[in-house]
Amino acid sequence: MNGFLVSARHELLATRRSRTASILVIVFVALVLASAVIGWITTRTVTDVYEQIRAAGMTSAPNPFSGASPLYFARNSAIYVVLIGCLMAIVLGTEAGLRDRRMRTSDLVLTRPVSAVSRLLGQFAGLGIVVLVALAVSLAASWVVIAAITGGPLSADETLRIVGFGGISWVLLMAFVGAGILGGVHSRHETAALLAPILVWSAITFVLPQVGTAARPIALLNPVPSVAATGGGFDLASAITGPLAITEQYKRVGAYLLQDPSASGSAALAVMILLTVLIGMFAVVGVTSRRSLRRALDD
Amino acid sequence: MTDFAIRTFELSKSYGGRRALDRLDLDVRRGEVFGLLGHNGAGKTTTVSLLTTLLAPTGGDAEIVGRSVARRADVVRRSIGYLPENVRFYDDLTVLENLRFFARLSGLRRPDPRIAEVLELVDFTGHDREKVGTFSKGMRQRVGIAQAILHQPEVLFLDEPTSGLDPVGVRSLRDLIVRLNAELGMTVFMNTHLLSEVTKTCTSIGILRQGRLVHHDTLDATLRRFPGEESLEEIYFRLDAAVAS
Amino acid sequence: MTDLLVIAGREIRERRRDPLLLVLIAFLALASIVSVVVAAAAFRTELDAYTAYVSQLLASGSSTPPAAPRLFPMQLLRGAVEYVEVLGALFAIVVGYGSVAAERRRGTLDLVLSRPIGRFSLGLGKLLGLSAVWGIVVISLAVVETIALATVGGASIGLYELRGIALATVVLWLYLVFWSAVAIGITALARRPSTGLIVAVAVWLVVVLILPQIGDTMDPDNQVPGGLFAALQIQRTDELSVMAHFAGFDGVRNAIEVSSIEKHTERLAFAFLGIKDQYNQQPLSAVWADMWPYALTLVAATALVTVGAALTTTRRTLQRRDS
Repeated sequence: MNGFLVSARHELLATRRSRTASILVIVFVALVLASAVIGWITTRTVTDVYEQIRAAGMTSAPNPFSGASPLYFARNSAIYVVLIGCLMAIVLGTEAGLRDRRMRTSDLVLTRPVSAVSRLLGQFAGLGIVVLVALAVSLAASWVVIAAITGGPLSADETLRIVGFGGISWVLLMAFVGAGILGGVHSRHETAALLAPILVWSAITFVLPQVGTAARPIALLNPVPSVAATGGGFDLASAITGPLAITEQYKRVGAYLLQDPSASGSAALAVMILLTVLIGMFAVVGVTSRRSLRRALDD
Repeated sequence: MTDFAIRTFELSKSYGGRRALDRLDLDVRRGEVFGLLGHNGAGKTTTVSLLTTLLAPTGGDAEIVGRSVARRADVVRRSIGYLPENVRFYDDLTVLENLRFFARLSGLRRPDPRIAEVLELVDFTGHDREKVGTFSKGMRQRVGIAQAILHQPEVLFLDEPTSGLDPVGVRSLRDLIVRLNAELGMTVFMNTHLLSEVTKTCTSIGILRQGRLVHHDTLDATLRRFPGEESLEEIYFRLDAAVAS
Repeated sequence: MTDLLVIAGREIRERRRDPLLLVLIAFLALASIVSVVVAAAAFRTELDAYTAYVSQLLASGSSTPPAAPRLFPMQLLRGAVEYVEVLGALFAIVVGYGSVAAERRRGTLDLVLSRPIGRFSLGLGKLLGLSAVWGIVVISLAVVETIALATVGGASIGLYELRGIALATVVLWLYLVFWSAVAIGITALARRPSTGLIVAVAVWLVVVLILPQIGDTMDPDNQVPGGLFAALQIQRTDELSVMAHFAGFDGVRNAIEVSSIEKHTERLAFAFLGIKDQYNQQPLSAVWADMWPYALTLVAATALVTVGAALTTTRRTLQRRDS
């Protein structure tokens, strides 16, 4: 327990001192905050566009946004979590996994009474707090911005939904923190340590959803999902790749929590998949051997 | 309580098919300053890595103050301090933050008073708020000794402690090792290339050649055995040549 | 000049033996093939659905079936182009970073800089070498994609298609050289090489993903699945007349998009390949009339970052050490 807590505390201090990590956390917080403003401006413009169409007598259909939840303004946050949040998580994890190898402090740590599992899970937990703080600050700021836009505080239900969104974002980001730690601990080169988890992230974010739904890579960055292909081999491909495409699962849960009208599929199943991935990541990080921790970098 | 700080029993280590250490039998008594000599690649660092539990032996065993490195590694880690060759720290953290981390990992709950004590002992007061990343090699070596003795270990392992230091740094570190041994009664095990350092610091020596211990005795006895030789250096080369032939 | 070529030659030899580069190219090639296969499968699924619908209509006595979906094979390359835009740029950064970082960590930088080489030869030589490497990579990708189009997509590849692919290949080559130059410059400026990599990746994230994403998200037509105007059954001409009232908003949105070099690359590549409907099956002169400003900015931006890379890879910046 001692090694775990000391490592967690040390990780917090090291991350606070790392300028790169701090910059990434600040950019993430700023973008999540900006996403609320962008969401508001866009939604207002779309409503104006609809009014224009209706005034010109081109449609009698109801406004697709009438009665939209104020949380809908924050829907872009999910994309920023998938983009910059995941990158931040990977960088934090990689830096943690690499630190002792790069600084050549592994031998100083490993000649002390601390096990590899408590050392790594301690670092994992320390980064868990960093990610939690980044999410808490950004979503609290989003809450304030949305309240300012809508002219009143959000209801308890809406606030709970934002908290839930923060929770599921934490689960996703911690899975990528784990991927970063594994990259940092196991790679022979510093470059590969960062690149390997980024490759995994790109495959999960772009390639897997494309195989399952025929969605183009860049269309996957739009918070509103493109229409998924069905029939042919796509139903089967989607059944296979869907659970592995955890960023899509995360976007699904996010869409439900932020009351996005285009949300579809089972949010409960998506939450289960994300939790399973995180627990799996804990387990994989936890079984890392002492030998791996002191492996020299070829760089 | 055992009289021996370190005992090895046919301690061996192989990497793939290559034997880096071959059935090492070695005893170091409590309170000794032991110097392990040998060429590059003789197996010195492998020996220290095995004794400090960084590597697991592929054969035999070793005991540190009576505890097996193979079976009770966690207990052994409480009894040892280690200064690796070219010690490095977390560059972005200060001396105090680095030492706090290592002290806490060693189980010290409130480490600050002990850190102050140790920094005074290694003559490094006044630098505790400075980041380690800005330090010279000699300064890092002092912080390295400080981290190694924070938890008052019974045995201190030093891997090439004077490597890369200037003459002033070498003398100052040598004096420190002698003091740690004399004032705190710490057993010291050091690897070194510098035979002159061994003469001035160690009470007993061992010579490794291609993973085998080819000589082990007290320094005085070794010097007595070769009365015609003027220095340990000459003795070392004579012993080495004798084994090679 | 000779020193420039010597450095470029060594860069090419090193990259040829770099297993990391091979992994990256293999990943990119695989992703491109997957995207062509998936797009072709999606088209076939659409075609099957149409055939089933037509037979249903005919069975019910109707004689005016809707127009059949048409396959323009070059449009199957959309995903492959997007992969180069997103992942190719990332890989170009990693390779550019690795080229400078390796010199530092091996200590060969001091050996090179102690020779009588020109002030800008190191940076420009490296970039020249990497440009050649990226040339080989994009040509190989083009060949792989053309084969995939002809086999999986069932396309007949004529002169028109080959010309489009060749022009898009040049565009993507410039884009990759741009990102390698950015990475070389940033890594040379960073005291610690790994910081250079992280900063360059953060720049990639903002320029390649975030700016276009903001532009895309702000597009009113991207607010509902399938498109707002399609959901409200608004024709294209009416859509344009409606959007004319929101010229200010659309201008800001477009400005955000075009502040990213990725959008310039995308618009050029999509136009040359006929992925964008308005340029599909159009003569090159018509495409070029609209596209030359984008071509100009892409070339200018690449030239600018090349100069930047040359200026930042001087002895003074490269020999700075972190502590």
